[in-house]
Amino acid sequence: MPEDKFFKAIANKTHPNEQLVPTHCSYCGMQCGMNLRVDTATNKIIGVEPRYDWPVTLGKMCPKGVTAYQQTNHEDRLLRPLIRDDASLKGTKEGFREASWDEAYTLIARRFGELQQQYGKDSLSVFSGVSMTNEKCYLTGKFARVALQTRYIDYNGRFCMSSAAAGFLRSFGVDRGSTLPWTDLHETDCLFIAGSNTAECHPTSMFRVWEVQNRGGYLIVADPRETPIARRADVHLDLRPGTDLALANCMVHLLLQNGYADEAFIREHTSGFEEMKEVVKLFTPEYTSEITGVAPEKLIRAAEIYGKAPNAVVMFARGIEQQHKGADNVCAYTNMCLVTGKIGRPKSGVATFTGQGNGQGGREHGQKSDLLPGYRKITNPKHVEEVCRVWGIAQEEMPQPGVSAYEMFELMQSKTIRGLYLLCSNPAVSAPNQNYVRAALKGLDFMVCADMFLSESAEFADVVLPSVSWSEDEGTVTNLEGRIIKINRAQRPLGESKPDWLIQVELAERLGRGQFFRHLKTARDVGDEFRLASKGGYADYYGATWERIEKENGLFWPCRSVNDPGTPHMFLDKKFYHADGKAKLCALPYRPPAEEPCGQYPLRLTTGRVVYHYLSGNQTRRIPFLRDMCPEPYVEVHPETASRYGIEHDEIVRLYTRRGEALYKVKIIEAIRPDTVFVPYHFGHEQSVNLLTIAALDPMSRMPEFKACAAQIEKIGDASGKRKEGVR
Amino acid sequence: MKQHLYIEIDNCIGCRSCLAACTQCGGHDQRNRNYVYDVNPFVNRQTIPLMCLHCVNPACARSCPAQAIQITEEGAVLSALVEKCIGCQNCTIACPYGIPKFDEAQNLMYKCDLCYDRTKEGIPPMCASVCPTNTLQWLTEEELAAKKSRQQLGRWTASRDPYDALEGETNVKISLPGILQGTVKLF
Repeated sequence: MPEDKFFKAIANKTHPNEQLVPTHCSYCGMQCGMNLRVDTATNKIIGVEPRYDWPVTLGKMCPKGVTAYQQTNHEDRLLRPLIRDDASLKGTKEGFREASWDEAYTLIARRFGELQQQYGKDSLSVFSGVSMTNEKCYLTGKFARVALQTRYIDYNGRFCMSSAAAGFLRSFGVDRGSTLPWTDLHETDCLFIAGSNTAECHPTSMFRVWEVQNRGGYLIVADPRETPIARRADVHLDLRPGTDLALANCMVHLLLQNGYADEAFIREHTSGFEEMKEVVKLFTPEYTSEITGVAPEKLIRAAEIYGKAPNAVVMFARGIEQQHKGADNVCAYTNMCLVTGKIGRPKSGVATFTGQGNGQGGREHGQKSDLLPGYRKITNPKHVEEVCRVWGIAQEEMPQPGVSAYEMFELMQSKTIRGLYLLCSNPAVSAPNQNYVRAALKGLDFMVCADMFLSESAEFADVVLPSVSWSEDEGTVTNLEGRIIKINRAQRPLGESKPDWLIQVELAERLGRGQFFRHLKTARDVGDEFRLASKGGYADYYGATWERIEKENGLFWPCRSVNDPGTPHMFLDKKFYHADGKAKLCALPYRPPAEEPCGQYPLRLTTGRVVYHYLSGNQTRRIPFLRDMCPEPYVEVHPETASRYGIEHDEIVRLYTRRGEALYKVKIIEAIRPDTVFVPYHFGHEQSVNLLTIAALDPMSRMPEFKACAAQIEKIGDASGKRKEGVR
Repeated sequence: MKQHLYIEIDNCIGCRSCLAACTQCGGHDQRNRNYVYDVNPFVNRQTIPLMCLHCVNPACARSCPAQAIQITEEGAVLSALVEKCIGCQNCTIACPYGIPKFDEAQNLMYKCDLCYDRTKEGIPPMCASVCPTNTLQWLTEEELAAKKSRQQLGRWTASRDPYDALEGETNVKISLPGILQGTVKLF
């Protein structure tokens, strides 16, 4: 990998009686490089040092990264299995007693067995996450299908990355979140960033973003809020939440109309142009302005800059993806690259900012209801055969495809699903329409949760298994570039906690399916089987051995053999993965958000992150520095809106939608549209904004529409934080 | 080789990584010794980092009756020496930027020491190491000269009266807001 202009050879700071273990942050898809400081005498992680030689981030870390090590030896860590004997206490922290692993395993095997005997194999379900290594993600898919023999497995990537996956698959025939490495970004001439609060969600990208402008390049940001990145943009397209499809269609309309199209590229390397052209015709700047609320001249200027740029990258994140047309939005923005031919070469392309640590790798290896390792389809007999050969099971034994994450809660409500094995996820905070989801969890006959802390979701469990933090296990993850990287173990597991892969291997034994798992004695064994299982798939990791990854500072997939250098830039040969070798230009008629504002609910509610917290906050809310910086959620309100409701800064208001309500402190700021309010989603229990969000699902990706629903504010007390009596 | 902490104010996104990193420095006891201010929080999210500027002739050291504040030959103004500090808090009053803070429990002033344990070994201070936006940079004289040729460097003044500004030479250099104003666009 060539060293970029920001690289400086800086020696590590060493401390006496300590060892530095190079690894990566536990949080978002940037997976910033860091060194953990380990006390050699006690084998305890005691601090962090920058990792200046990691080519993507060069030692840079956000406040979450700097303090991430503090979760490993946190006082809240679960050290022994917990069992709840009284089911009436479900949904609270109460009623748990400590138990041995043996007792916990025996209980799980007995209850799972009873449920499957009474209600069939598919009465059990697995709900997992993608903040874990590729090895664990792979094994979780195998565990569900081989050990539990159930069709119902899905993961929290449905709340995060599935729209990008579905969109890229439709446009390119393959889903790799970025077509180029991050080390290219600052060398491009124009960044078009839609629906990403990059500064707060992926801060360590920012030194490259600012460098584009420092060099005289342009930054265009489409976001309803004037986020820190939008504040410095050359053009800020301040659209209404949920109207991205119209905006993207307008961009394509203007690119075609004003002569910025690359006709030879369209002719030779794309299909579907005529149909798409017909659809975008309608999206004149004036018409688009009516839908999006963005001034026509801003739309025209943005398209002109992107069109003229010799090289440009279109980037996006959850802002466009967490909509009930998220996959369409992804394809619509990707159309911009395809009609201008700005893809399949260095410094140009398209990328999504991956929200979760292993959002990329975790969606490729069989945690999704319809996928098997290496992006194989569970509905394709040839793919099933390839995976069955690795797993050593008969093809008939492979379960059918299941349903998506949110739909699993619907099946819990209807009692189709009776038992749940939950790991590495906290849906009791992160799923939409929380009142419904919590009732679904409460109604389960039996629930197991593996976590390092007693999360809000673990409160619904019958058995809680203590799993390890990222720093106590090893494996690989795939960062937002598509680069496979190595996570290293810095400390022995705390207390009696165990890695998830070991828990699954041991549980499989208790479930009578040990013969398919007992050869996996180390994380390395799981890694080697996983490489083999991905071999031959689109997401082929076979050549990415742990040794090569460490030696070569990560490897980009596909990496098909041990001699394959990997693929930092996708589509350099202009060959896309559809059967005809062409990329697909998608014709995408506009659809408004599932729920539009009305007289009763006149505002649009949108949600997102703050820089201090990660996902449901189960990890970051426990870290003192991060908790002090952002201890509670708030609702951002424009001053005009505040004055209309007669509410003041720091006053507590009731925010409600058709699905629920919650109390929030008002934060008045001009950086939000007057017709929109914003609440960060990292908080649990009665502070969860997902009590309010809508579970309208994208038909293709099954992603809920977190980013737009109709809402109303009610003043409940006097100004300055005073509340009505009886209101907590 | 002398190096300078350099602050490119426009780059700040308010992530406060510099504060988090500061808590990780040797002897900082999980307390940050630098600060970030919201400029106009009701309007936008503009923030500025406020670090110790390591004045060439620092008011904190000048006002110290016990000579507890040492200045290194590289120009770093250190935290109060435990054995000398008498806890009078003159330094906290004298500093025009509000940097030295007082620890009641230890009866001791503490402030940014420019990560002297790192910088003396040629390693950047923790805040500049982690800063994800290059708001804080650790520059050689040469790199600083290159910045000067492109942008106007500013002085941090602490008085509202422009004719009586409280300013002096500092080892930490800052850019004036508007760093992109003179940038020629690529196309």
